[in-house]
Amino acid sequence: MLGLLAFAIACRSSGPPASPPAGTLAAGSWDRVLSQARGTTVVWRMWRGDPAINAYVDGWVAPRMRDQYGVSVEAVEGQGPELVNILATEREAMAGRPGTTSLVWINGETFAQLRSENLLDGPWADGLPNASLIDSDSSIVSRDFEQDPAGYEAPWGMVQFALIYDSARTPDAPTSISALAAWIQRHPGRFTHDQQFTGMTFLKSVMYGLAGGVQAFQGGFDEQRYRQGRERLFSWLTSIRPFLWRNGRTYPPDVAAMHRLFANGEIDFTMSNNQNEVVTKIRQKVFPPDARALLLEEGTIANAHYVGIPINAPNAAGAMVLANFLLSPEAQLEKQRGDVWGDSTVLDVASLPTPWPSRFEAVARDAAALPRELLASRARPEVHPLYHARLLQDWRQTMRRGTP
Amino acid sequence: MSRRDLPGLLAAVVVASPVLIGAVYSTLAAVGLVGVGAQGFTLERVIDTLTSSETWSGVAWTFATAGAATAVAVAAAFVLAVRVRDRRFGQVMAMLPMAVPHVAAALAALLMFGQSGLLSRLTYALGLTTAPADFQPLVYDRAGVSLVLTFVWKELPYLTLTAMAVLLVDSRELEEVARTLGATARQTFWRVTWPQLWRGTAPAVIAAFAFLVGQYEMPALLAPSNPTALSILIYERAVDPNLLRRGEAHVLGLLALSISGLLVVAHQWWRARAEPGP
Repeated sequence: MLGLLAFAIACRSSGPPASPPAGTLAAGSWDRVLSQARGTTVVWRMWRGDPAINAYVDGWVAPRMRDQYGVSVEAVEGQGPELVNILATEREAMAGRPGTTSLVWINGETFAQLRSENLLDGPWADGLPNASLIDSDSSIVSRDFEQDPAGYEAPWGMVQFALIYDSARTPDAPTSISALAAWIQRHPGRFTHDQQFTGMTFLKSVMYGLAGGVQAFQGGFDEQRYRQGRERLFSWLTSIRPFLWRNGRTYPPDVAAMHRLFANGEIDFTMSNNQNEVVTKIRQKVFPPDARALLLEEGTIANAHYVGIPINAPNAAGAMVLANFLLSPEAQLEKQRGDVWGDSTVLDVASLPTPWPSRFEAVARDAAALPRELLASRARPEVHPLYHARLLQDWRQTMRRGTP
Repeated sequence: MSRRDLPGLLAAVVVASPVLIGAVYSTLAAVGLVGVGAQGFTLERVIDTLTSSETWSGVAWTFATAGAATAVAVAAAFVLAVRVRDRRFGQVMAMLPMAVPHVAAALAALLMFGQSGLLSRLTYALGLTTAPADFQPLVYDRAGVSLVLTFVWKELPYLTLTAMAVLLVDSRELEEVARTLGATARQTFWRVTWPQLWRGTAPAVIAAFAFLVGQYEMPALLAPSNPTALSILIYERAVDPNLLRRGEAHVLGLLALSISGLLVVAHQWWRARAEPGP
């Protein structure tokens, strides 16, 4: 069957010969990349779960790519863990022939997995013309879950975890981990977290805070450190569990369910990996106008997300042109608008030519948006992806499965 | 077997081949020989999965909810089929849920049965509850109330349709004969209609049950986190950030396949006993 599948895919992608790999292209001139890319299509695999992001990609990025570079952009579904499965299957089935995907939206664990399975092409990212605009001093952008992107992925955006609450409904919102526990105990049934990435990011932030800060977890995965952190986190969770939503016997399946429960008044907090989601959701009238983001004093996890080029990409040149366009000030500014996506820029805004700095400042100003200095002072980097994988596994087995 | 059987046999093989090939691939992936995270032969994943209480509580919960839903849906479908087989309006009404996608049905159930859903708002308006938390949890609940109800609602048209087809083709004349020979309505139902219905719909009932066991969208929106439904467990393992655990998805998939296979075999055996061949 694999042979049949490979044959079917090979038939579909026959036609113009594949462009040279990104690593080779990056060594040559940018003009050559541009001319190779003209008239081609880039299939971009990404998470397609947010209509706002889809609208930005399909309605804003794609037409400009076509007009300015003659490149068609076709965004298709395929995120994180599934992406690894898709690319690995393609490689298994197609034995060296070009695959279907030229650009992928990734970070952290997915980047680590794609690198460890040798599924990414590179290095190419540092050679992009717009790479010089990137805020390379930022520890959030320059390290992807402690890994050096090493030119195998180009940064695209940056987000920071935040709790979300309604300032009208909850005027006494807690601002530290211990205050949060006290608040939960005083308000039974009004707090929970989801079972997936957002929930685990929350738990990881708390684990840092309870066990000596993020510094304690930096420098690769350490079993001993992890166990200490897990013990503290799980005893904190055990102390609040009876007071969680549904007595901690069940958890919302995902963050969309959290948002629904919050909007319907079943719980008083939801959460997001993007501190600006509250701005976007207020404008969409999903959240009440007094909804606000909240960063715990102990800090919350910030991370950047990136785009990479698969090793079997049929159109590496087009993918590089697209990655470069995504890093342009106009594309980054549009993406950061609260009514578009609210995804923070990865550019060093202060060193951009006028009038860009003032434009970015204007976009960051919103009643529900957190000040940039506060965000920066409370941002904590991601640590080795294994911490996330282990925490997810242990939380499922101990806290979720062990529900009373 | 004559030459005339060949095309049919070939078609059956084509239909079955994805399952057979998939089972072979899954077996290889389960023992770490192929797929993402494969690092050479090991039985670790098979043993870990089959000795985990998470697996078996998930299997038990999935079979209990699918079984309960199938039983209710079959009973309702038989009643409906007997009652509406001569009424066109009733038939059309009974078929309506078929047009609703499973994921839409699950979302509707969420809006209806959630603690801030329509029913909860109704009890609040009537003064029976004072807050969302007062309303009996019917979604993400261990009893799986909303999930079972949604399963029933979605399976009902399919089973009703099958039952009506059985009644129209097999039963009518026999029923008339029974009545002319002096059987009461009750006797006619239990001696003629019921056996016909049961035998005629058994394959469809098994198919409906197997489908519910494998259903993903509805448990993803309505099921509790513990026990974890089998399809959710398979998905979680298939996308586990720890690549070494992805093989466990194949173990769980094979487990589900074996149980469904056993059901089919049991049905064949029962049928062979009930209706000895020519």
